[in-house]
This record gives sequence, structure tokens and C-alpha cells, in this order.
Amino acid sequence: MIVQESMTIEQKLTILSDAAKYDVACTSSGVARDGKDGSIGNTAASGICHAFSADGRCISLLKVLFTNECIYDCKYCINRVSNDVPRTTFTPEEVCSLTMEFYRRNYIEGLFLSSGIIKTPNYTMELIGRTLKMLRTEYHFNGYIHCKAIPGADTELIETIGWYADRMSVNLELPTADGLKLLAPHKNRKNILNPIRQIQAGIEESRENFGMMGGNKGAYWHTRRKVEQKSITQKREEDALLHIGHKDQIRQVIESKSDKGVGFSNRILTGWEEEKDSKILTPNHRIYHGNQEISSTIESPSVIAKPQGLTMWNQFGGNRGFVPAGQSTQMIIGATGETDYEIVNVTEALYQKFDLKRVFFSAFIRVNEDSTLPVLPGGPPLLREHRLYQADWLLRYYGFEATELLTKERPNFNVFFDPKCNWAIGHLEQFPVEVNTADYYTLLRVPGIGPKSAGRIVKARQMSKLRFEDLKKIGVVLKRALYFITCSGQMMYPTKIEENYITNQMLQLDEKLPSHITNGGITYQQLSLFDDSLMLSNS
Amino acid sequence: MKEKRIYQCEDSLEGIFSAVYIAWASRYGHDNIELEVLGMEEEYNLKLFSEYIIVENNPENASKVADSIKKKISPHAYQMVARAALSNDKRKANAIYHFLVRGFAFGAKVEDHLSDSYVQIIFELNRYVGNDAHLYTGFVRFIELENGILFSKIEPKNNVLEIITPHFADRLAQENFMILDVKRKIATVHKSDSTWVLTAISDEELATLLSVTERKEKYERLWKTFFDSIAIKERENKTCQRNHVAMHYRKYMTEFIDDVEHENEPLRDNLDKIGKINYE
Ligand code: SF4
Repeated sequence: MIVQESMTIEQKLTILSDAAKYDVACTSSGVARDGKDGSIGNTAASGICHAFSADGRCISLLKVLFTNECIYDCKYCINRVSNDVPRTTFTPEEVCSLTMEFYRRNYIEGLFLSSGIIKTPNYTMELIGRTLKMLRTEYHFNGYIHCKAIPGADTELIETIGWYADRMSVNLELPTADGLKLLAPHKNRKNILNPIRQIQAGIEESRENFGMMGGNKGAYWHTRRKVEQKSITQKREEDALLHIGHKDQIRQVIESKSDKGVGFSNRILTGWEEEKDSKILTPNHRIYHGNQEISSTIESPSVIAKPQGLTMWNQFGGNRGFVPAGQSTQMIIGATGETDYEIVNVTEALYQKFDLKRVFFSAFIRVNEDSTLPVLPGGPPLLREHRLYQADWLLRYYGFEATELLTKERPNFNVFFDPKCNWAIGHLEQFPVEVNTADYYTLLRVPGIGPKSAGRIVKARQMSKLRFEDLKKIGVVLKRALYFITCSGQMMYPTKIEENYITNQMLQLDEKLPSHITNGGITYQQLSLFDDSLMLSNS
Repeated sequence: MKEKRIYQCEDSLEGIFSAVYIAWASRYGHDNIELEVLGMEEEYNLKLFSEYIIVENNPENASKVADSIKKKISPHAYQMVARAALSNDKRKANAIYHFLVRGFAFGAKVEDHLSDSYVQIIFELNRYVGNDAHLYTGFVRFIELENGILFSKIEPKNNVLEIITPHFADRLAQENFMILDVKRKIATVHKSDSTWVLTAISDEELATLLSVTERKEKYERLWKTFFDSIAIKERENKTCQRNHVAMHYRKYMTEFIDDVEHENEPLRDNLDKIGKINYE
């Protein structure tokens, strides 16, 4: 490994941002925090994009590795120890000043600090912790910080960092344990799941002790519903009100139905791998009941001083909890042979069992020559990545369950349709839906109708009966919706509600895919031809 | 057929409200009335059978209109109208007038009348201005002047300065900063740990401001370094990038400054595309 001493900050930045570019972390949303006296920065719940790089991806955070002097040898990673690439490591001060100066100039929303493993997981985590502490307490940075928890690091270190960060993430790397074993020989599933569980426990504690903070709310629709102790119907009603936008009613509904949620503490963690180990320490327990003096003598100088529970809380003016923007994870798609069915199920399990805020997917890019890595003829499987994000959206906001979307028999998404269309075509018995009477939730399941347009329909039809022209103005994508709806009993055109017919009709439509997939001139039909692994698996 | 009356007013909320007041008081019949902002006239409106009336600003009338909207329609409707007035859309004054006609008839319920075309325009303008302002919260670039003041230039299509400044005043509470709208010659000035003000900029001041800022500093260079190295070349896609940051935003953005292509492309409705998967 070539480690160059005495690099300029510019050289380090070049190497360590280049090395971090495959991490998916554009989002900074999920926590809203106002500015605070004596500090610099606030966070916006909606997320702000500050720039878009040449690959079209959003840049909202200073995304860097702390170090790329990694001792591990993950096959898919450019920084693996066996690669011959220039290596370097930031100092905590360097990361702090880059963050602050970029932030002041409004280049970024905050910091995303990932890292290779330098020396040991603990050594690495300790350096990251020192950086975060310095940013918060010496530079008084009140903006957004997302950092990686390093699997294998001590729980104490991870906990401390959780008080300084807004979001933490531990990468699952690959959807299954087998895949991980194959491509990341130094990592194992258990080591990855442990910190995920620990962070989950910390977030729960924080939620119970301080109430909901920022983005701590369960991300998966059915989890949120269970936490709030609501039936499916109640939750759907509430969603409807949120999108119809009568604020007073929303408040009433929310207040009447959630008499003191029980949080996750009583949840039984079953049905997923390694449940036997699930009684991991929840070290956060002890610090909450700590109004009493806790001696802060920390002997080892290499260990960052641990903030003391409520003291820590107060230190930030009571507006930050433990990992207030929740935790996320990411997995690589297409490096190993999992089907979409498996991936979506893992995703759902992550939301259910670990209360993750987001699961990110990252289309596999072959950066290393290695016989264990596949060669994908169409390049990174971007369309597949996109379909998975669409499915994830259905899980998180629409109340779909993984089993509704795919089955063992049909294990992959159709490249030609988005997952919701795919679902609708498979459930024609539920259609057509009458726009002037159907409830919000039923409208929401119609292709071409999203939460906003469904909300608008419900509002607007109180004033007058809606016609197809009105729907168009309201934002419904009629060319897709028309096969599934009636207005005052009429379909827009004479249409057979029949699978083959509708499938054929919809195949003629050009789906508006995000430009990061279509790359200007290439249409999605052309693109999907390259993606032959998907084509074959979808019949 | 009755002759159309077209009331023309200044491009400001006060101007539009002054015209609303006069037009309303004329009892000429709402269907025969149109409003137009001076400088944004519709050419095809220069019809033979139209009468043009230029309305001077009248703060008293304008504030009467504002009060009635808040009381008789709703504070939210007022907000929507105020926001629509910041747009660069020619239809804004006329849409505001007819939206208010319906508002005074229906009350707060006017907002649900989404199949009405004027209500739709007001919603559309709100979204348009709101999206533009949201994008600017990300795309504003400050440079640090020698005296430590953070300084930014923008040339937004819609008049978003007043909408975005509170965001920066909260975020950068301890900084002295100034955001200058070069085209409209207005600026907001924020003093450290204090409030901000909106001020008009004279031509001399503008010339001075535009000349002081050409110094390149270290962090600008570092930012460009980061911006270049963070892109994944296997996924390179300039079209996608252009869809997200349309060319007209780039003029003052540090990372684009060397390669700005002065294309005049239509303002796109970018927000829906940003990092979101949209099903609608
Ligand atoms: S641990 Fe693996 S994935 Fe992470 S930097 Fe090291 S080699 Fe890369």
C-alpha cells in the first residue's frame, strides 16, 4: 500500500472524495432543526440539493472517506487492500474546516463521513468520533451529519457517536449472507447486524424518553401503523386527510388515535436471521436515568469523552436526540445472484425488524478485475435499481407489503412497467374504480394517480363532479390511469378490462424514466434490451 | 358585447392589489375585466375593443384588499396570492383578480375549487415560485469577501429573494451576509446575530458590488475539486445533470463558473425530479 505522507488538503480531498463516490447518501432529509444561538447551521426536513454532479446525482453533503488506507479486501471495492491506489487519511481538523467552510458558502447541507478500516475498527471509529465531537462542540456546527458505524467497533464508541450524528448507517453491502461471504471475506452478517440493532435500540430509547424526534418515525408504512397502534383502515384514513390537507381534522385524528404509543420495546424480534443473538446490549439504557452526577473521568486518552445522557441532550439545546434522522443502510444490486423478490423481502425485513429509515440500493459497478465479480453487459443495472426504489416507495408510503409485489414464481420486476402498474395489471378484479366516489386509498392504487392527485381528487369532487379533463388538470397521468378508472360510470374510451389487452396497450406508452437511466437519447425500450438478465427472468 | 377593460398596474403586490381595488369598485362586471402587470403585457390583448386603464399604486387601497383577503377568505389564501405575485408569469395579476372574485364568493373553500382555471393558475404559480425558491436555497453560492462578509449574486426568474432569505438568516445567524438579485437590483442584507433587511441597489452600488467579487479563494477551488472527483464516470449523464440544474441557475454557481453555457432554456419544474421517485 502506498501511503503518501504530507499531502495537501486538496490532494487528500481528491482521493478521499473519489473513494467515497460509490456510497449512496444524497439524502439529508428527515430531520428539521432550526438554527441556534452561538451555532452555525440548521437542517431542513425536506432536504435541499445543492448541486448535481456530472453523473446527474444530487450532491447535498460533503461526502468523503475519513481514510482509504483500508485493511480489508472486499472484492467490489476500489479501496480494498490488494489494490494499488494512492492512500491517505484526513485529520479531524481537516474534515472540520472543510465542512464548515463549505457550509458557510452554501455548497452543502452537511457532512457524510464514511471510512475504510484503518488499523482496526475501533481505531477508525475513534477517529470518526473525535471528528464529530470536534465539529459539534468546538466548531459549533448545527447542520446535518451522517456517519458510518464501523462493524466490529465497540458499542461504547458507536453509542457516543450516535449522540453527535444525525443519521448513522451500517452497510449491509449485499442482500444475503452468502453474497457477503463470497465478496467480503473480512465481514460477516452478524457483525453488521449488531451495530444496526444497537443503533435501533438507542433510537427507541431516545424516542421513548424524549418523544418523537426528527426522522425517528418508522419508515415502513405498516411499522408506523403498528407503532401508532392503528388499524389499516385508520391509518389509511389518516393518510387521506394528510393529503387532502385539512389540518384541523388531521390533528384531531392523530390526537384521538394515538394514546401513548408503546414504542418498539415490546416488539418481538422473530422471523429473521440470528434472532438468538438479538439480545444485544442496549447500552443507552443506563445513561438516561442519569440526572445524578456521573463521573466523567475517562482514563484512556485515546477514547473520546462520552457525553452524559441528559447533559448531552441539554448541551444541544434539547433539539437533538440519538441519531435523530434515523439509520439507513445500503446494498449493492447485481453483484451477486439475488432476485428482486429476495431483495424486496430483505428490505421489508430491515424496515420491520430494525426500523430503518431508508434502505438504499446501489447498482453494481465493476471497478475491480476479479473473477468472483460478474460482468454485466449493459453496464450498471440502473433500471433495476430504479425499479427497486419504486418498490421501496410503495412499501414506505403506500402500505404495500413485499408479498403483494413479487412472488417466488414471479421473482423479478417487469422491466416494462413500474411495480405499481405491474401490481394493478395483476389485480384487475379490483378495477375499474369510480373517481367520483372511491376513497382516497383506492384511488392511490390506480396507476397514474399519486398521493397528491388522489388528495386533489377527493377535495375537488366536493365542489363539482369530476370529468376526465378535470383529472388531467389535477395532475393525473391519464394515459395510464384510463384503463383503471371511470368518471360518472363511463370509461374514457371503450376498454376491455382484460390482462392481455391492457398489457399490450400499456406497452405502447413511454414511461417517463428519470434521466439518469435514459441518458438523453436512449429510450427506455432500447435500454431494457441491454439489460438482458432482467429480460429473461420476466416472462 | 361589452368592451373589455384592462387595468394595468405595477409589478408588485401593492400594485396588483391597488388594481384589484379599483377594478372591483368599478362594478364593470368581473367577466369584462382583465388585469395586467406593466412590462408584462399580453401583446394579443391590444384589441380594438379594449379600454386600458393604468392604476397608480395606492397603499391604502392595497392594504384594504389585503385585510379583506385574510378576513373573508383565509390567511392561507393571502399567502398564496402573495406568492403568486412574485412569479414571472404574465397571467399573475389577472389570475389573482379572478381568484379573489371566487374567493370572496366561496370563502376559504375556494382552494378546493381545483377544476376552476383561475384557481388552478394560482396553484400553479405557487408551485412554480415555491419550487424555484426551494432550488435557490441549494443553489445560492456565497463567496467570502476580504472583510469576512459572505456575498452572493443571483438572477432568479421569479422574485424569490424575500422567500429564501429567512432560510439563510436562520442557518447563518452569526454571519454577515448579502444576497444580491442582479437583475432586479435589490438585495437582502443580514447582520450577524440580528435581522435582515431588503434594500434597493443603485446602479453605482451595483457596479461596485459586481467588481469586488472576482477574487478566487481557496475553498472555491477545493469545492470544484470535490465536485469533479465525486462524479462516477460510469454513470456520467450530462442530460440528467442539466435537467436538475438548468443552465440559467449556473451563472453564479462556483462549480459551473468556468463552463457556463449561456443557453436560454425554459425554466423547468425541477422539484419533482430531484431525488424523488414520482408516481404521478
Ligand atoms: S471495508 Fe471493504 S468496502 Fe469498506 S473500504 Fe475497506 S475494502 Fe472497501
